[in-house]
Amino acid sequence: MKKIIITILLLAVSFVSAAQAQRSWSEIEYPPLNSFDKPDIEIFELENGIRFYLVEDHELPLVNLRVLLRTGGVLVPNEKAGLNSITGSVMRTGGTTSISGDELNELLADRAASMETGIGLTSGSATMNVLKDDFEDLLPVFIDLLKNPAFPENRISLAKTQQKTSISRRNDESIPLGLREFQKLLYGSESVYARSTEYATIDNITRDDLVDFHAKSFVGRNMMIGLAGDFNIPEMRELLEDAFSTIPAGDKIDLNFPDVNYEFVSSINFVDKRDVNQSFVMLGHVGGMRDNPDYATLQVMNRILSDGFSGRLMRIVRSQMGLAYAVFGEYGSGNFYPGMFYSGVMTQSETTAEAINAILDQIKRLQDEPVTETELQDTKDRFLNSLVFEYTSIASVLNERLSYDYAGLDPDSFDRLVEEVQAVTIEDIQQVANEYLRPDALQILVVGNGAEIGDQLEQFGDVNEVDITIPQPGENEEVTAGDAAAGLEWGQRMASAVLPGGPIEGDLIFEADNVIQGPAGEMTLGVKQTINFTTDKLITEVVAPMGRITMRVEGNEAVMMMGGNEMPMPPAQKEQVLGEYYRSHIYLAININEMDIEYMGTEEIDGEEFVHIRLNNDTVMNLFLDPETALPMVTSYRQFDPQEGRQVTVQLKAEDWQETDGVLLPYTTTSYTDETVVSKTIIKSHSVE
Amino acid sequence: MKIRKSTFTGLLISVVLFPATIFSQNLENFEQNVTEFTLDNGLHFIVVQRSVAPVVSFVTFVDVGGVDEPAGHTGIAHIFEHMVFKGSHTVGTTNWEEEQEYINKMDEAYRTWLDEKYSPNPDGDIMEQYWAQFEEYKERASEYVVTNEFDEIISREGASGLNARTGYDFTDYFYSLPQNRAELWFSLESDRFQNPVFREFYEEKDVVREERRMGVDSDPFGRLREEFGSIAFAAHPYGRSLIGWPSDITATSIKDTQNFFDTYYTNDNFTFAIVGDVDPEQMREFAEIYFGGIEPTGQAPVVRTIEPQQRGERRFVIEEDSQPILMIGYHTVSQTHEDWPALQMLSSVLSSGRTSRLYRRLVQDDELALVAQTSVGYPGSKYPSLMVAFGIPNQGVSMDDLEDAIYEEIERIKDGDISQQELDRAITNSRASLVRSLNSNMGLAMQLARIQGQQGDWRRLFTYVDDLQNVTLEDLQRVANTYMVRENRTVGRLITKEEDSSVSETQ
Repeated sequence: MKKIIITILLLAVSFVSAAQAQRSWSEIEYPPLNSFDKPDIEIFELENGIRFYLVEDHELPLVNLRVLLRTGGVLVPNEKAGLNSITGSVMRTGGTTSISGDELNELLADRAASMETGIGLTSGSATMNVLKDDFEDLLPVFIDLLKNPAFPENRISLAKTQQKTSISRRNDESIPLGLREFQKLLYGSESVYARSTEYATIDNITRDDLVDFHAKSFVGRNMMIGLAGDFNIPEMRELLEDAFSTIPAGDKIDLNFPDVNYEFVSSINFVDKRDVNQSFVMLGHVGGMRDNPDYATLQVMNRILSDGFSGRLMRIVRSQMGLAYAVFGEYGSGNFYPGMFYSGVMTQSETTAEAINAILDQIKRLQDEPVTETELQDTKDRFLNSLVFEYTSIASVLNERLSYDYAGLDPDSFDRLVEEVQAVTIEDIQQVANEYLRPDALQILVVGNGAEIGDQLEQFGDVNEVDITIPQPGENEEVTAGDAAAGLEWGQRMASAVLPGGPIEGDLIFEADNVIQGPAGEMTLGVKQTINFTTDKLITEVVAPMGRITMRVEGNEAVMMMGGNEMPMPPAQKEQVLGEYYRSHIYLAININEMDIEYMGTEEIDGEEFVHIRLNNDTVMNLFLDPETALPMVTSYRQFDPQEGRQVTVQLKAEDWQETDGVLLPYTTTSYTDETVVSKTIIKSHSVE
Repeated sequence: MKIRKSTFTGLLISVVLFPATIFSQNLENFEQNVTEFTLDNGLHFIVVQRSVAPVVSFVTFVDVGGVDEPAGHTGIAHIFEHMVFKGSHTVGTTNWEEEQEYINKMDEAYRTWLDEKYSPNPDGDIMEQYWAQFEEYKERASEYVVTNEFDEIISREGASGLNARTGYDFTDYFYSLPQNRAELWFSLESDRFQNPVFREFYEEKDVVREERRMGVDSDPFGRLREEFGSIAFAAHPYGRSLIGWPSDITATSIKDTQNFFDTYYTNDNFTFAIVGDVDPEQMREFAEIYFGGIEPTGQAPVVRTIEPQQRGERRFVIEEDSQPILMIGYHTVSQTHEDWPALQMLSSVLSSGRTSRLYRRLVQDDELALVAQTSVGYPGSKYPSLMVAFGIPNQGVSMDDLEDAIYEEIERIKDGDISQQELDRAITNSRASLVRSLNSNMGLAMQLARIQGQQGDWRRLFTYVDDLQNVTLEDLQRVANTYMVRENRTVGRLITKEEDSSVSETQ
């Protein structure tokens, strides 16, 4: 069988080969390009101000919806930097007032659907990407997410933790580090265009801030919505009108982009990073705006300088000089605020200055010599012939229209750019290079290894060493509210009260009845505990209806014994047992001098006045001491309750203190979770052996 | 010429989950647009007609990668990949005959310099002399170079996304063109692989060294990964540096690279994929015209080293200025092994999406990690490789706590604490991501070429989801118990220097 096929193949080969011969690249004549009919975009607006853009795309059974929001980090004051991204992230992770974040995650995962929200510097977005059959089911959920995000505290805390972790890691990699510091150089470190999110700004953000930011942003007058996918426009339009008319109109946000008052200066700035052998260099100054009439000429200039392998930077600095793998640059033009003119390169420490000079030469050359006719024509050809890639999908047409409308550009801006590029001359390029580029006033930033770079940078001026130390948060005010000296004094008094004879050496043993309030009523367990505070040994024997259980924790070992079987204690159980150990009055008393304690004043509980001290351990504990005896009468702390799936407040009320062998224990302790009694421990006897 | 049309809808009957109906409709449509043919010199082509926009993407997949490199020449696959952009005998030069002479002399001088450098008693003066010769020939050779002409030719015609990738298992070369310029690809592509040149070879090695500094030496994660590979693999070349050890880059000459090309770039190792607004019949004609005349070749050697069974856990610590990263790897199987689908689903249950085990426990609930991600087929998938887990601890979280929590989640699965819903979700999402990947010419071309090139049948892209459908909860539990065991793992920690005490704790 195979042989036969091969024979046929051979015949076919010789036939075809005879028909046409190979042509070298320069001899090929191209047929006309197949046409691309831009799909019509259906545009309509609802009464609440939402503007819709719909386009049908039946290739795959999917619907993609994208809400583009007029909002952004520019609205956020510096002291709350990061509010926009935390709002965008918690909106999604926290779920809504009717569906929790976890439930939402599962709902979407089961249908391989996605919904995401985010708020950047100059805009916000919410997207829904679903199979078409799920669209109607999931649309109400998406509307709910837009209207009623829950912003639960635990997800806010998660987002803050993640932001802080990112802050702590922000100096690890040269590229993000360099880009961040270069932006600060150009726009100023306090500028909204360059500022960093800091520990302190994260601490300043409250849930109310998120609620407010969402409420003003996610309203009809700030929404543009694009849909592309496998649907029928009239039907879809009806669905959308119904669903989105419930979004409040709200007020149109006036995004105010502060002016950039840039003063052209030369500077050489250095960040010393000892764990690299390659310098990351950025150099440049502030660029311009998209609506500049010279935009098209600047684009051609950009491409001559740095359009991939055909650009001068790549050709000379990389291919000919072998100085870099990555070398790039552009004259940036912003839609909302001035972009950056920059060039960058990554080169080994030893060739840092050589690479900088090679780039400087190319910038100056744009001013000093006219580009060649061939270079200009090739650049135009590259641009014009690749225009077809501007629209490689139906969705790309939609996305371009949305972003142009958002930026306030005419829908035919791109067509105009094409015409203008065709008209650019050699003289135009030299003229804009001289008008907009300032090689005499460049700011240079080098992130690199000072020991390897040596004095290379001095030829560019007085080197300014940039301090990238991450500012530690101002101590959290809440935590420092108390008085530490008074706190320690009361703590020591408590210790003496609980252990009148000082720290104990032997095993503390006590027997008790633990009366638990369960859903099925009361249950009493007999408990015997043996604790050694010197060796951190804790043995608990529980006599339960199903038999005797012994739990033993000592050092790293944690085992459970039941019915003659020994097994490792589950980590969660071990954590709980140790938690109780570390929270016991005796443990606190013995270790009182190592604790971070604050005196928080006096507080009345159930009509009695107590001294309030707070211990800032892994778990923050509040102890309320009897002002006379200094015994801890009430203890409270917050704890995660796995059954409840949330943080609860645990309160322990101690009564009937009795002394044996130099140790005072409360013979009755009542435990409350969120003010409900959950158990009572009644000690029968205790001793130290 | 026989065009094999595919039929694989029958294989999908077992698919029962919701996207299945949608999915099979798509596959039927998809199948109708695929044309496949092999030239009689062994070169294989896949053409997918997709007329959404007047563009077309081309991928040249070569079943050769870092694993195939000879000892002492790590990085050579990647160096050659760079050379492919230097043109041919007619592109990128003003006079190939003369240029070639200087290139040969330059390389000879370099090799003599190398020989002297590594001789028992290298003579500094002689080395300098050879080096001067080398520099001189290099200078002479460079006079003929039309730098980056290959790029200029295709870019002028509107090419987009020109690039290439070198992996441990494969190398691919790709770009897209306006659809009416398809013939240009055939002309240039057949030329550059038939007439490879080693133009600006030594300049390009400097570029590669910079690429190494960027991706490995000056990047904490890059350093951790390179170290990890070298410790996790004792014998298999997956453990070697992909971009090349610096001394190997130095030791590699044009002659070595030419040998590598001659040995491994055999016809059977090539697969071409073309996806876009093109007429398959015409593509076939072009293929015959431009590639049909290439001589048949022998077959390339394959890697025969099998990684021996690991005898015990391997651990290492890198102390640095940067923030901590944790990496754990378990030896598993290759992509053709029957346990592969179960391992993929296990990884998905563990860390794909917000409902996954590691996200929920480590990222969301316990706030231990900023990122906790697993993946199968690291650093390659053609040969038995690793299932890895990466963890980035949140600020103040100890590496012990992070590592323990990952193991706890793995143990839960080993104990059978896993639901059918989780598995269904993983399968559904794999299927959906395949559907979503079908709307990109380049994405499709890369996937089809790679699967065809490595597994001999591009249909595996689709039939693979059937294999997933057959994965059971018992399979997940079984593969977790089989592979994710202590003596089979390597653990690497990158820690911040101040944390000295924690190092001793963990040893």
